[in-house]
Order: sequence, then structure tokens, then C-alpha cells
Amino acid sequence: MRAIPTLKISISGVHGVVGQSLTPKLLTRFAEAFGTHTGSGTIVIGRDPRTSGEMVKHAVVAGLLSTGSRVVDIGVCPVPTVQLQVRHRRAQGGIAITASHNPAEWNALKFIGSSGLFLDAGQARELLDIYHQGEYTKVGGAELRTVEEVEGATDLHIKSILDVLGPLPKTEKKLRVVLDSCNGAGSLVGPKLIEALGAEVIRLNTTPDGSFPRPAEPLPENLGDLCRTVKEHQADIGFAQDMDADRLAIVSEQGEAIGEDYTLVLATLFVLGRQQGPVVANLSTTTAVADVAKKFDCPVFLTKIGEVNVTDAMQLHRAVIGGEGNGGVIYPRINFARDSLVGIALVLHLLAESRKSVTELLADIPRYAIVKEKISCASDRIAGVLRTVRQEFADHQMDTRDGVKVIVPDGWLLVRGSNTEPIIRVVAEARSEERARELVNDVIEKIRL
Amino acid sequence: MKPLKIGITGVRGIVGETFTPELAVEFAESFGTYLDRGRILVCRDTRPSGQMIRSAVLAGLLAAGCEVVDLGVCPTPSMQLAVKWLKADGGIAITAGHNPWQWNALKFVRSDGLYLNSTQGEELLDIFHQGEYAKAGSDTIKQQVQTADAIDEHIKVLHENFATGVIRSKKLTVAVDCCNGACSFLSPKWLTKLGCEVLAVNDNPSAPFPHAPEPKPENMAQLRAIVKAGRAAIGFAHDADGERLGIVSDLGDPLSEEMTLAIAAEIRLRKKAGTVVTNVSTSSAVDIIAARHGGSVVRTPVGQAYISEGLIEHNGVLGGEGSGGITVPEVHLTHDSAAAIGLILEHMAQTGERISDLVAGLPRLTILKHNVTVAPHRLYSVLQEFRAVMEQEGLEIDATDGIKVTLADGWVHVRGSNTESMIRIIVEAHEDAAARELLDWARDRIKR
Repeated sequence: MRAIPTLKISISGVHGVVGQSLTPKLLTRFAEAFGTHTGSGTIVIGRDPRTSGEMVKHAVVAGLLSTGSRVVDIGVCPVPTVQLQVRHRRAQGGIAITASHNPAEWNALKFIGSSGLFLDAGQARELLDIYHQGEYTKVGGAELRTVEEVEGATDLHIKSILDVLGPLPKTEKKLRVVLDSCNGAGSLVGPKLIEALGAEVIRLNTTPDGSFPRPAEPLPENLGDLCRTVKEHQADIGFAQDMDADRLAIVSEQGEAIGEDYTLVLATLFVLGRQQGPVVANLSTTTAVADVAKKFDCPVFLTKIGEVNVTDAMQLHRAVIGGEGNGGVIYPRINFARDSLVGIALVLHLLAESRKSVTELLADIPRYAIVKEKISCASDRIAGVLRTVRQEFADHQMDTRDGVKVIVPDGWLLVRGSNTEPIIRVVAEARSEERARELVNDVIEKIRL
Repeated sequence: MKPLKIGITGVRGIVGETFTPELAVEFAESFGTYLDRGRILVCRDTRPSGQMIRSAVLAGLLAAGCEVVDLGVCPTPSMQLAVKWLKADGGIAITAGHNPWQWNALKFVRSDGLYLNSTQGEELLDIFHQGEYAKAGSDTIKQQVQTADAIDEHIKVLHENFATGVIRSKKLTVAVDCCNGACSFLSPKWLTKLGCEVLAVNDNPSAPFPHAPEPKPENMAQLRAIVKAGRAAIGFAHDADGERLGIVSDLGDPLSEEMTLAIAAEIRLRKKAGTVVTNVSTSSAVDIIAARHGGSVVRTPVGQAYISEGLIEHNGVLGGEGSGGITVPEVHLTHDSAAAIGLILEHMAQTGERISDLVAGLPRLTILKHNVTVAPHRLYSVLQEFRAVMEQEGLEIDATDGIKVTLADGWVHVRGSNTESMIRIIVEAHEDAAARELLDWARDRIKR
């Protein structure tokens, strides 16, 4: 069996390679399907700076307008800005044109519901059904509405943050921040936010011209330049965003990339210090989040991997903070979405109010090492692999909601398949990298792949 | 079946029914592929569906790797001129010309500013049918659509080709009905430049079409009223995209759209004898006029591309069609209502002749036009059946375009429309009664 590697239609939207599978006709039809699904209402659209953004945008606008929808185009902006605008304008939905951390040749459509959240599995299935049926709402002449280009959405985003958190408390010296926006959607709004908060910003990769200065995922191995720049300028902290500015990674004043898991840890530390309440993370997130929550006597709820699962649980439990181990921070008081701008504001406030450095703050929290591996595995073999894991660790505490998570005395490990690629992910956390790697290798051997 | 016309002149249909955004996207991709990802201009008229189709066209062109320049709302002839001075490889006009507001269409223009000819139209269709288009990768796709203004440059070219100084000196009072179409951006400006006192009506491009965008007498009531009230020397009626022109005389007479070419031919041929290029469906008045001045007439199939090619081939001095489309070759080789306006006002200014007087001296024939709606898949069959009947009756057939037969007291022309699903019957005779008889005769012989 041969899968085509360049088109992916799933709950996370429509991903494809420009000039290959991502054709304007496909895009227009999906937009028609979405316009039909949302009942010809108002749809907010925004995009990241990818080179194909303009083409994709026009295809989407054509499809939406043809269904009688009204389109509000907020231009190049972070995905969380689109989500915020959908709620702010009480729109019927939104489309974010971005392929997140995929390489430059990709682009994608991500569909947002009237709640400002991405579509859940049921809604995504409905949308796909409409797409397949091919019967879209078609209006003519008088019922056609317009597309309006709107400026200022990112300014409103900054205002939303400052309205809730306020500017940074005065410190002896202004906080010095290095921001690496990967030339992505955070390039202009990120520095603006940092200055509006009252900190000094040093810009790295803030030219949104469609170029990729580094791989977009803010993993430690991709942040060499940021770490160097933090040390060079003796900055207090470094932030790295991905292409669509929803995920955030942190570099300490020592120039050490602390790991994208710890973004949520620090954000949780700040939020619970102000307001106690439930915390939500996913099964793959570091235990350090739970450690912080315990300090404040707050419950932690872990969910299946995936933003929609996290936001669902956050709504259910009325969580005050949530997110995932990939650097996504969700702070409902400002925006019910993974939001790197909110993350930046929360962490800067933490630094300013605690008057501690990043390293000092981390010293008070257990440090873990997470090792993540992915191994090729055809989708029809995954069930067998998971069964093996369950058998091998039968005498351990297990959570089988998303693959198999096994709690071992000094850490945990998680084995799960992927919906989007023919791989198995093996993740382990322990007190040291050595031990975490040992756990991973042990599992890999046991499942004999 | 719902109306959708895909043919060598482009694609045309009703938005909300058959003219879908995907169709526009694919045609744009086809054109971008055909022109090898070159620089392509896009313009549109004021139809409500213009924005939606524009987005589809931009997406298709960008995806094919083209460099795109959006001229916004402007008359098609303005874009055709711009293709030349912007050194573009082609252009797409998003306009259904004289069709009602529910319609829209794509018309394709090549690098010399002319419409694709029939061979080229077929080549474009082949690409569309094949469905395999040029596709730009993220490394070569153009990141932005450029913009440009075509109107001012159009006026400049017009200015250079007519005796503007003389026209200005006469300070003519001219009425104009822009139909709230693309000419709203061009005509009042051009007339002002000619020193006219401009009585403009329906010059709001944001408002809907006030009447059918066809410059025929039945749509000229408002214009007529303004001509009379303002004591204008002449009134001009536009279609939605600036190709066809209708005229109301100084006496307030709304003239048949056939008269526009007759008037233009008379003006032109008085100055110098030459060849007028028109189509087989246009009034014989132009033949009579040409004969008077030692000129000649060449007849082509219906469609602007044929007129353009005929003008090139025969070194014509004027082109035009009975629909009201006029081509003034020294400006450009396609229909341009603003150029026709220049020609007519130049004559009025240079000679002082009133338009009503000029018209009084023109041959008066009666032309009757009747459309018969036919199911799209029957169009060709109906024509063939009519042809068979003509042959049976022993009549000589001119098959240049559809079937034309010349009879003792006039002629009858039957053809399928390029733009709608109908058979067009046009008859002409020297008198009304004879013309009506011919029309009845023709209708009797058409079986739907």
C-alpha cells in the first residue's frame, strides 16, 4: 500500500504541499464546505507569512463568498489572534491559513468554530461530509456579501493581554528579552507586546517575508542562535515562537534552552500564585506541572494529546490554566487558545514579580528530563505494539486513554501511535536524561521494532 | 439544464448556479498555464459577484505561478490597452458585458491586447478539459498581487488620438448613462477632459445596475429625459464594461444600437475612403454608406476577435458590430466605447453638424431581432434543421456564422448565441411591414 505523503485531511484541517497536493480548487471547495457548515455567516480569516499565503487566502475568500458568507480578513497574524477575533466579533467561525511547524513548502487550513476553538472530531467529520457531498450553499447576485480587510487585530490582542494582566511591575532594571519569532506570524506583534509590557526587546528572526531562518519547531536543538544571543546581550530571558505563534519555548538567562515542557510549568507557577484552580495538561506533559499544582493544592487533570482535548477538559473542570508539553499555553481569562503572546506575558510577569531569574525559578521546581523518540510503524501494527506494552508492564500503574502510559517508580513512559504519520511515539520522563533514555530504549526493545 | 457557456470566447454563467468559484479558479489556472506563468492583468466590472470571482481568479493565477496585477474595477478596453503598456502576457476581464446582473464571465486577452482568436480559445479549452495545470511551489509562487491604475493611461491614449483641442473649444453639453458600471470611472472623466459640460447619470459604481446593461432604446428612457432637460447635444449609453455604445440624439431620440456603427462609418468614411469591418449579422446600412463614399465592407463571423483580425488583414479604417460595439483602429483593435465617443464628438466639433441631422441622412432600414430560447444541447441541431429547410427552399446560404439567407426584400440571419443558450434571429428589410413578414417567415421555419 502506498500513501501519498503530501496531502493530509484530518481533524486538524487540510494540509498539503504547495504546487503539488494543495491546489486552489481543493482549497476553494473546502472553504465552500465551511461556509455551508457555518450557515453563511461571518468568517474571520488570518494567515502566517508563508509565501503561498496570498494564493491560499484568495482561494478561501472565493469559496466563502460564494456561499454568501461575509469575510473579515485580518491579514498576517498569529493563529491565537484569529481565534480571539472570532469570539470578539461573535463570528460564526474562522479559518487560519498556516501549516504550523511544517517546512516551507507546506500550507494548510485550520478551521475554527464560533467558540474560537478548533473544530472537535464531530464537527470536523460534519465538515468533511459536506465537502464530500459537494452540495454547497450557492448564492447569486444580491445575496453575495463582501470581504473586508481589517487592520489592528494584533493591537487588539495586545490590549486584551494588558487589560487582564497590566504592564509589568517596575523593576530596578527593565527586563531584557530576546525574541526569536522564526520570521513567523509573531514577528511584528511579539516585539510590540514586549515593549507594551514595559520590557526591552532584542529582535531575532522578526522579518515576516516567508523565509524560514531555522526549523520552525521551538525545540532546544533549533534554538542555538537564540541561546547565543541571550548570552551575548546578557538578557534576562529568551523566547522562541513557531511559525504561527501559538507555541512558545524559553531560554534562560544562562543561555540554556529549558525545554518546551517548562513553558507551561512557569505559566502555571505564575497563574496559581494569583488565582488557584484546576490545571489541565495532557498525558505527555512533564510531571513538573503537577508538582507546581501540588504546591498550591490545586488539582491536575490529564487528557489525551491534542489541543481540542485539553480545551474540552478545561471547560469541563473550569481550569484556570492549561496547555500541552509542546509549549502551548492556554489562559482562559484572555484567550481560550494556545497563545504564545499570552505565554510571554505570563512568564515576564512571573520574572518581574518574583524578582528571580529563570534559573532561580526552576531551582525550586523538580527538574526532569524528557526523551521523545519516534519510530516507523505501519498503522495496522500499532494495536499489536500497544498490546505488547500492556503485557510487559502489567504490574504497573497504567493510563490507556491515549496509547499506553506507564508509571514507573522514577518516572513514566508513554507509547502511542500517530493519526497523521506511520510512526509510534515513545516518550519517557525521569530525573535524568540518562535514565529517561534508558526507559525509552527498554520499551523499544520490548516492542521489538 | 442551467445556463453555462464554455466556449472559445471564455466562460459565462449565472453566479449562484453554474458559475462556481471552482470553475473560475480552474479557468484562471488554465490561462496561467497557457501563458506559461507570465504576467497577467485582472480587471472587473461592477457586478455584485465581481469580488468573489476576482478572488477565485487571483488564486488560480498565483497557484499557476503567474505574476498578477490587479487593475480593480475598470472597463475592459482600459485593461486591453494596459496589457500593452504594462508589457503583460495577457489579461482576464471579469465581466458579462451586456448580460443581466446575475451573470458573470471571464474573457481572455492576449499579449497584444486582443481577445484570443478561435484557435487560441480552443487551445485554452483543451488545457481546461485536460485538467493539468502549471503549479508553482512555495519557492517560486508570487507572494503578493500587485495593483495598477489603467484609467488615466487610457484617457491619455484617447487624448492623443482625437482633436481634443477643437472639442474642448466647443464646450459641448453631453449626457452620459454609465449604467453604474465600469465606465463610471472612465467616461465622466474623459468627457470632462474634452471640455464638455457633463450630465452624468448612473455613474455610481457601488449601486446596482439601474436597468439591463445593454445600450438599446428600451433602456434609454432616463438618458433621453436628461438629454431633453439639459438640452444636450448628444447622449451616450454604456454597457457594464465599456465595449458597446448607444446614442440618444440632440432631439431626444433614442437610436437603435445598429445606428452607432452607421454613424461612426459615415463620420469615418467622409474623411477618407477605406474598409469597414463588421459581422454578418449587422445591418446593411453600412454597405449603403460605404458605397456612397467609395469605401468597402468586409463581413466576418460574430465576435470581437474576428473584427480585430479582419481589421488587421484588410487594413480597415473602422470596425464595429450591430450590437453597438465600435473599434477605432488607431486607438486599439478592440471595441472601445470611449474611443467611439471621441470619434463622434470630434466630428460634431469639427463640422458643427448636429447628430440628428447626420442621422437624417442615413439609410433607414428596419432591423428586427428576436431570440428563441433553446435547450443548450439542442442549439446545434436546431440550426442544422433550419439549414436543411433553407436548402429545401432552394435558397443560397451564407454560412460564415450560423445561416444567413438573402431574399428579395431583405435578409435573414439565424445563429446560436455565443453567450447565452438561445438562437438569435435577425432580419432586415427596407420597410417595417416587410421586416415583420421576414421575421414571421423565419420563426415558422425554426423548430425547437
